[in-house]
Amino acid sequence: MSDRNNKVPFDEDNYTHNINRNNERMLDRRGFMKTLAGAAGVFAVSTLPWGAVAAKELMGLGDKEYPHQKIADVKDVKVGDSVKFHFPSEHDSAILIRLSENKYVAYQNACTHLRCPVYWVKDEQEMICPCHHGKFDASTGAPTAGPPRRPLPGIKVEVKDDVIYAVRVKRYEA
Amino acid sequence: MKRSYVGVILLAAILMMNIVFTQLVVHQYYYENYGVTLLYAGLNVLLFPVALFIYKKEKNKGGSKGYEERNLS
Repeated sequence: MSDRNNKVPFDEDNYTHNINRNNERMLDRRGFMKTLAGAAGVFAVSTLPWGAVAAKELMGLGDKEYPHQKIADVKDVKVGDSVKFHFPSEHDSAILIRLSENKYVAYQNACTHLRCPVYWVKDEQEMICPCHHGKFDASTGAPTAGPPRRPLPGIKVEVKDDVIYAVRVKRYEA
Repeated sequence: MKRSYVGVILLAAILMMNIVFTQLVVHQYYYENYGVTLLYAGLNVLLFPVALFIYKKEKNKGGSKGYEERNLS
């Protein structure tokens, strides 16, 4: 048995088959167990990055807070109206919609299809992208019609002393 | 020839658990259960020393001669 892989099947008379390989390629029980243990190590190492990002999220490093930015005064925004603003940087255009007396929603209004600016159509109570007629639900930001498949990234809004502030950008969910 | 498959079976079971835990880590991460993610990642890491321990304990079990022994003659 132990010599099974070490036999030369025919008489040979050349200069290349005269190397005795000594079973070096044989996968025995021990070698197989070594492979299994090594594979366990690979799995252990491969989960480390997931643990690291999870720990980062747990410590709250992923939820970055931007300096509060004033969007508008409450008295300037009537129910059903919208205001354009920029948040968090001056290149990220966003839109604030007052859905009811106390309900404000805000989204970064670059359409998730090809980044055209989405605007609020008061009569239809919908956010519409003019480029390809994508539509978004105003209360959730989810796409309801047209080419976009992903929701608009939401912006968290806070009302303090009759002034509306943008606080942070919600997690982008693909 | 005497064989001992206990180690092989145990290690295969550990590898199976590794696969399951890795899958759970990824899923729980996307479900945003970060505590559970850390728990499964920790378990996955812990399985490796266990596997090494089983390997060390079992590698000379069974009747087959070791590599060095086999090639002495």
